[in-house]
Amino acid sequence: MTQAIDLQKLTFSYQAGKPVLAIDQLTIPRGRLILFSGPSGSGKSTLLRLLAGLLPKYGGKLAPGARLNLTAGECGLMFQDPGLQFALDTPRHELEFTLENDRVPAGEIPARVTTALKAAGIEALADRQLATLSGGEQQRAALAVLLALDRPLLLLDEPFASLDVANRHQLMARLVDQVAAGKTVIIADHDLAGYRQYRPLVVAFDQGSARLLEAAAADQRLAAADRPVTIPARPTAAFAPALTGEDLRLAHGDQELLVQPTLALPKERITLLTGESGSGKSTFLSALARLSPYQGQLIYAGKELSRFSRRRWGRTVGLVFQHASDQFLNVTVGEELALSQRQGRQPYFTPTKLAAALDQLGLAGLEERVVYSLSGGQQKKLQLLVMLMMGQPVLLLDEPFAGLDPASVAAVKELINACQACQPATIVLVSHQLAGLAGWVDCHLHLTQRYFTDQGRVDHES
Amino acid sequence: MNPSLKLFLVLIISVEVSFTSKLTVNLLLVAAGLILLLWTRPSGLTLTHLLLIPAIPAGALALTVGAFTPAHDWFFAAVLASRVYVYVLLGSAVTRTTPPLTLARSLEQNCHLPAKFAYGTLAAINLLPRIIRAVKTIKAAGQMRGVTLSFWSPRLYFKAILSAISWADQLAQAMESHGFVEDQPRSQAQVIPLTGRDWALGASALLLVQLALVALP
Repeated sequence: MTQAIDLQKLTFSYQAGKPVLAIDQLTIPRGRLILFSGPSGSGKSTLLRLLAGLLPKYGGKLAPGARLNLTAGECGLMFQDPGLQFALDTPRHELEFTLENDRVPAGEIPARVTTALKAAGIEALADRQLATLSGGEQQRAALAVLLALDRPLLLLDEPFASLDVANRHQLMARLVDQVAAGKTVIIADHDLAGYRQYRPLVVAFDQGSARLLEAAAADQRLAAADRPVTIPARPTAAFAPALTGEDLRLAHGDQELLVQPTLALPKERITLLTGESGSGKSTFLSALARLSPYQGQLIYAGKELSRFSRRRWGRTVGLVFQHASDQFLNVTVGEELALSQRQGRQPYFTPTKLAAALDQLGLAGLEERVVYSLSGGQQKKLQLLVMLMMGQPVLLLDEPFAGLDPASVAAVKELINACQACQPATIVLVSHQLAGLAGWVDCHLHLTQRYFTDQGRVDHES
Repeated sequence: MNPSLKLFLVLIISVEVSFTSKLTVNLLLVAAGLILLLWTRPSGLTLTHLLLIPAIPAGALALTVGAFTPAHDWFFAAVLASRVYVYVLLGSAVTRTTPPLTLARSLEQNCHLPAKFAYGTLAAINLLPRIIRAVKTIKAAGQMRGVTLSFWSPRLYFKAILSAISWADQLAQAMESHGFVEDQPRSQAQVIPLTGRDWALGASALLLVQLALVALP
């Protein structure tokens, strides 16, 4: 085995004087599965990009004196948002492009493409347009490319954010195979649930510093994340409906996603939607926001959705997009807040309450910052805040907690509770991350085999 | 026929057509383009689009020259109108018989265009569906914040340009993360042949056009 990866005096900043990463010394053994753990914005992604050689080439500044015994050519990196990592149109073409870049002889390319597609379980998707694949399917395609690259060091940034447990185990098995074959796999993930069985080493990140945890401390962290989560919920029929659906059908291209004879979303309650990745949860939310076509009827306040004007519907339904940056209309944090203050109808947000909320979310003092320069977690929190301020009667949240650490999740939930107490809204939320949702959501619908099943039980105790 | 050669042949013919005014030659080229297009079995809708949309600029051009110039030169008007159809039909004959990836590979292998340009352009083309979706998303994001963004809104374009800038940077990172290194030789998953037959076909097509330009009225 080659010598361990050694980092010395690594200080990296996007803005002068505000380092996002300051590591004095860190040794990462090779041939192991390593987890980068820590809250959002603690520097995990930044270190991965530094290792892969994309930083400081594409932004930021590395302080002089840094030492790193690694060349960029040794690493393969899978981005947090796989949709941004493809240059070509289909998984097959992307794989061919990658192998050509690596100067794999033409005769070997078809076999290597097939092997990679099979390993990621996406043979059936090989010739589909990448743009039409779901987030989870794109993550598999990105993994296929990473496996095809065949580098000694595999870096993955939140690779399982839009995958459910079954898919995740399948892909983890592939990565464990890579470790068994002598490679080093580094995964950055804010959520450590499900990793304990693979006995990874844990590097803990905190406000830009990073250290390798001792075995006992690592195990403690992994075990804490593994405590089972059950979501007690009540049947949707227990509440008055706000939105109802009849003979609802949703499709993604030629693939049918949802066939639902009847559906009711309870008024002024929080409903959680779960289901396999790519099963159509996001498409359902986007149909409710009238961004995706549907067949059948969706009725709100006695009227079919299509009978509302776009403008009126925009004031009725707020969709918090999966990608935070899609939500922003202005340049700076301050401008975004000002727009929501001007247009918003949520009475909770008085100037004092808003300042308190900013403080609670860790966004205070960032008013002058360009929204796109915020960390992924900060963007997510700002996005949630500006949409809560709008105070639409229906609020759709697509993976609102993705990339957020437990403290941020708690702060967001608290803020939603405060808004609900002041002016309740019908909240529909799609989330893969279930930790902390028990007792908070009122109803739970699970999408499986193109059908939403009510997971609620009648609670006799209350 | 080799994709690059096909592209250059059509480009040369288009330039020639632009500097000559021979109606018969134009009509022959339109007919040839139409036959090549029908060869690809287009759907009725595609065909209607390809034939009707150019009718707007072609008709406008012809009417301006024929009716509103002092000379009332209806012959020149017909030449101009037929030129539009030559461009559109020959162009679509190329695009409908050549997938963009094959053309990019051909330009890289046969014309030794730097891979950065060939694949960069291709990646930009592949961004198109994302651009359309992005505009729709931006409009919806506006609507949900009480702001109506019409297609002339500066804010819509600001967001779109911002997205484009960040995509350009991300695209470079995406290509690099998938092993792309500028000016480094690459292998070829699909070899695009450039045969003597391609050259003969291209040369004879070009010769035929020259003969027609000289011989026909």
